[in-house]
Amino acid sequence: MKMYRSLTPLNSPRAPLAAMLCVFGLAGGCVEDVPVASPRASIGFGDPTPTAGGLPRLTSAQYRNAITELFGPTVLVPTNLEPDLPAEGSVALGASTNAISPVGVERYEGAAYAIAEQVMAEGEVRGMLVPCSPSAPGDAVCATEVIRPLMRRAFRRAVTEDEVQSVVAVAVNASATLGDFYDGLEYGIAALLMSPDFLYRQALGDDAPNGGALSAFELASRLSFFLWDTVPDEALLTAAEEGRLSDGDLEGEVDRMLADPRVRQGMRAFVSDWLGLDRLSDLSKDPTIFRAASPELGPAAREETLRFFEHLFLTTEAPLAEMLTSRTTFVNRRLSAIYEIPAPTADGFGMVTLPESDERRGLLGQVSVLALHAHAVSTSPTLRGRFIRETLLCTSVPAPPVNVETSIPEPSTEARTLRERLASHRSVSFCASCHGLLDPIGLGLESYDGIGRHRTLDNDFPIDTTGDLDGRPYADMLELTEALSRHPNLRPCFVRRVFRYATGAAEDERDLAAIAALLSDFGASGDRYRALLRAIALSPAFHAARADASLEEMP
Amino acid sequence: MPRARIHRRTVLKGLLAGSVVSVALPGLDYFFDPPLTARADCAAFPKRFGIWYWGNGVLPDKFRPTGDGPTYTLSEQLMPLAPVRSKLSVISGTRILTPNTVPHGSGPSGLLAGGDMSSPDGNASSGTFPGPGIDQIIASTIGDETLFPSLEIGVQRSSQSVSFRGPNAMNPPETSPAALFTRLFGASFREPGTMTEPDPRLGLRQSVLDVVHQQAGSLTPRLGVADRIRMEAHLDGIRSIELRIARLQADPPSLAACMRPEMPLEAYPDIEGRPQMNLVSDVMADLLAMALACDQTRVFTVMYSQSVNNVLYGDHSAGHHQLTHDEPGEQPEVNDIVQTIMGSLNGFLSRMDEIVEGDGTLLDHSAVLCTTDVSLGRTHSLEDYPLMLAGSCCGAFRTGIHYQSPGAENACRLSLSILRAMGVLAPSFGQGPSFTTSGLSGVEV
Repeated sequence: MKMYRSLTPLNSPRAPLAAMLCVFGLAGGCVEDVPVASPRASIGFGDPTPTAGGLPRLTSAQYRNAITELFGPTVLVPTNLEPDLPAEGSVALGASTNAISPVGVERYEGAAYAIAEQVMAEGEVRGMLVPCSPSAPGDAVCATEVIRPLMRRAFRRAVTEDEVQSVVAVAVNASATLGDFYDGLEYGIAALLMSPDFLYRQALGDDAPNGGALSAFELASRLSFFLWDTVPDEALLTAAEEGRLSDGDLEGEVDRMLADPRVRQGMRAFVSDWLGLDRLSDLSKDPTIFRAASPELGPAAREETLRFFEHLFLTTEAPLAEMLTSRTTFVNRRLSAIYEIPAPTADGFGMVTLPESDERRGLLGQVSVLALHAHAVSTSPTLRGRFIRETLLCTSVPAPPVNVETSIPEPSTEARTLRERLASHRSVSFCASCHGLLDPIGLGLESYDGIGRHRTLDNDFPIDTTGDLDGRPYADMLELTEALSRHPNLRPCFVRRVFRYATGAAEDERDLAAIAALLSDFGASGDRYRALLRAIALSPAFHAARADASLEEMP
Repeated sequence: MPRARIHRRTVLKGLLAGSVVSVALPGLDYFFDPPLTARADCAAFPKRFGIWYWGNGVLPDKFRPTGDGPTYTLSEQLMPLAPVRSKLSVISGTRILTPNTVPHGSGPSGLLAGGDMSSPDGNASSGTFPGPGIDQIIASTIGDETLFPSLEIGVQRSSQSVSFRGPNAMNPPETSPAALFTRLFGASFREPGTMTEPDPRLGLRQSVLDVVHQQAGSLTPRLGVADRIRMEAHLDGIRSIELRIARLQADPPSLAACMRPEMPLEAYPDIEGRPQMNLVSDVMADLLAMALACDQTRVFTVMYSQSVNNVLYGDHSAGHHQLTHDEPGEQPEVNDIVQTIMGSLNGFLSRMDEIVEGDGTLLDHSAVLCTTDVSLGRTHSLEDYPLMLAGSCCGAFRTGIHYQSPGAENACRLSLSILRAMGVLAPSFGQGPSFTTSGLSGVEV
C-alpha cells in the first residue's frame, strides 16, 4: 500500500499552490500530497515504520497525574523521568513512537521505590490503602486486599487472581525477609509501578496486532488520557467492566467526563503539546538585549497561554477564531510589564483586557509564541512564519536545503531593518519559493521584539508590518490576526491536531472521512472546543485500534 | 578463541526498518572477538570508546591543518588542542556519502549509523538514525562487562543526542552533574578494595524485576513489530538493571586509579543568559574520566552541544546556530566559538590523559571520536567532514598526525576502523553509498 505522510491539502485555494512552488528539500518535499516512498523501497535498514499508536508510554505528566490519582496529591514524584521526546513536533506521537532508553527504565525503578516508600510510611495515605491489620509480616490475605484494587486502578482493567497473586508473592516474600509487613508491601507497589501494564497504555484492539475495535477497558483508558490526561476513575472503570461504554451510555459517560474539573488538566496537556509550550521551561534569551528576560519569563509565559485557553475553551466556550482576536489574557507582574499594562494582582496571575487601542491580540500577541519563535537576541520572521504555517495552518515547509549561502547583510544604509536585510529571502526566487510562505507572515509581527515587547522601531528605523496572507492584505498585527482567523485552513488544521493528539498516531488517508465528519460537527457547534472533544470521543475512528503499520509492509 | 555472537537485541532492532530481514541483517552481522594481540601494557586495562560531539560544525578553512603526517601545523581553530596534539589524529578530506537530506542530521547519522537520518518533518531534532550508532554497537558487545553498558552525558541542557540504539531509540543525555554524580558515585558506589556486604534488598529488587518480565511476556504476543521492538527495548533496560544488581553483589574491580571524585555543585546557573559551558564540561569530564577509571562503563557519548543549538557564548552577539547562518564575511564570531569548544575538548582529553593506567594513561587505552553535525555550518555541507580521533586505543591507531584523505574517502571507513579496534568483527559498515568493507587505513597502525 501507499503510505501517506500527511493528508491531502486542506481546502485553501492558495496556500498549497504556493507550497507547490517550494520545490527542494526532503524526498517527499514540501508539497503535502506527495506520497512518500514505502520504507522497503529505500536503502539499507531504513526508515522507521509509522506508529500505530497502539502502545503509547505514559508521558511524564501522565505518570505524575496517575500517581496523584492512585495515592493522592501529597506523594512527591521524582522529576528526572525520561524526557518526553516529540515525534513530528508532538509529544503524543513521540510517546507512541519512541523506545525508552535503559536510563529511562532505571529512572522508573528509582521513582517506583521512592513513591512506594512514601505511601507505605505511617500516615494517611497508608491508612487509605491498607484496609486491614496485618496479622504477621507475611500476611498474604491483607496484602491481597491492598494489591488487588490498586492493581486494577494502575492497570486500568480487570485483573486476574493469578496476576494479583504474583505481585502479592513478591510483597509477602519481602515482608518475611525484612520482618515488616509495610516494608515488604513497598516491593509489591514498586512491582505495579514498574509494570508495562502501568507504564504503557494499551490500545491494541480485539484483533491485535491487526487492529479491530478497542476493548471496553482500552476505550476507557483512551478516553481518560485524552480528556483528563490521567488514568480512568472508578466510575469509568466500572462502566467499562459492566459494558456501559456504547451508544447512549457512552454519551452519558463522555458528558460526565467533560463536566469534570479534570478536563482542564487534559486541555492543558493538549495545548502544551500542540504549541510546544514545554520548551518555554528553558528559554534562551540574552538579558543584555532583552532586559525583561529572566529564567522565570518562559514558565510565566507558558502559564499565561494555558490560562488563556482554559478561559477561551472551557470557561467562556468561545469559537476557535477568538484565540486569534481576543483581547483577554492572564498576566502576572512580570508579563504585565512586558505588555505595559498595570498588574491586575500583586501576586500570581489575573485576568486583563488589553486596551482597544492596542493592536496586540490573541495567541499571536502572547509572549509564549513571540518568544519561542524568535532568536536569543532578535526576532525571527522566518520562525514565526513557520509556526503559523505549520502549527496553525498545517502547511508543511521543508527544512532549508544544503549548500546554500544563508548569511544576511549587517544593518547598513541600504538595509536598515530586518525586513530590508531579509529582502533576498523574498527576491531570489530559489529562496522565495519557501521563504515567501514564511517571512511575510512573520514580518507582520515585527512590531514585537524577541520576547514580545511592543516596539515601533527596528535599528532606529520605522517598522513596516504590511503584508499579504494568501490573498488577504494586512497592515499590522490587528489585520493579520483578522486575516488568519478567517483562513480556510485554520479550523480543519485544528481538528487534525486534536484528532492526532487523541489517537497518538499520525493521521493518514484512512482518517480523511473521520476528520471531515469531525470538522462538520465542529462547525455545527460554532467551533467549540468541548464539542470537538465530544465528537472525537464518540467518533468510530477513536474507538478503533489501528493495525501495526509494519505488518502491512511485511512480505 | 570462540566468537561470541552479538546480542539478539541489536539484531532485532535492525528489523524495525520495515525493510525486513533480507536487507537488514548483513549490516548488523557483527561478531565480537576479544583481541589476541593487545599490546602488553594494555592487557590489564579495558579499551574504551567514546564520542565527543558538538553542534553547528566548523569553518573548514580555519579548521583544516596545513601539512600532513606528524609534522603538520595545527590550524587556528585547532590551536587550543596543542597540549594533547601528540595524543590525537586530525582527519581531513573525507566525506559523508549518505545523502544530505536533513540539515544537521544526515552528517552524524551517516557517520555513526552509516545511513541517512529519517525525519518526517525534516528537522534534525525530531529525526532518528536508521539503526544503532557505533557507540551502541560496541556497547552491545562489551557493555555487559560493566555496571553501565554506556553513559550519555550532555554539557548543554538538552534532551537531544547522537547516541541511538536503533531507529526511534535515542539515549537522552544526563545534563545534571549532581544527578550524574549520584548515579555513578552515590550510595551504591564502592571503592576498590571494599568488601561487599550481603544485602537482602538486592534479591528483593530482582524478584520485582522477575514479575515485570512475566507481565511483559503476556503482553508481547499481542504487539505488532514496531511495538514489540519498543517493549524489547524496555526489557533491555530491565536486563541492564539485573546485571547491575548481580554486579553489586560482587566485589568492585581492583583498579588503582579509581576513587570517588569530588561532589559537584547542585546547579550551574546561566550567567547573563550564558550557560557555563566550559565549567560544566570540566565537571562532567572529571566524573566521566573517573567512571571510566573505575570501569563502570567503557562506552560513552558526550553531547557538548546539540545539533542546531543556539547557545549564547561569551560576549557574542547572537546564539551559535544563528551566527553560523547570519554572520557575514569570514565569520569571526563563529571562529571564536569553535575555538572555545576546542578549548573544552582539550580540557576533556587532558583529564583523560591525567589518569595513569600502567605504563600509559586512560586516554591511551581509549578511542575518542571528536566530531560535529556539519562541515561548514553556514551551508550544512558534509564535504571535508570534521573528524578527530583521540587516544590510540591500545596502539590500534596512529596519533599525533594529520591524515589528509587523498580522494575524498568515505568517512564511514573510520567508523569501521573504530568498531574493529574495539573488538567488533564487522565485515562491513554503512548502507548504500556509505557501505564500506575497508577501514581508514591511514590512521590504523
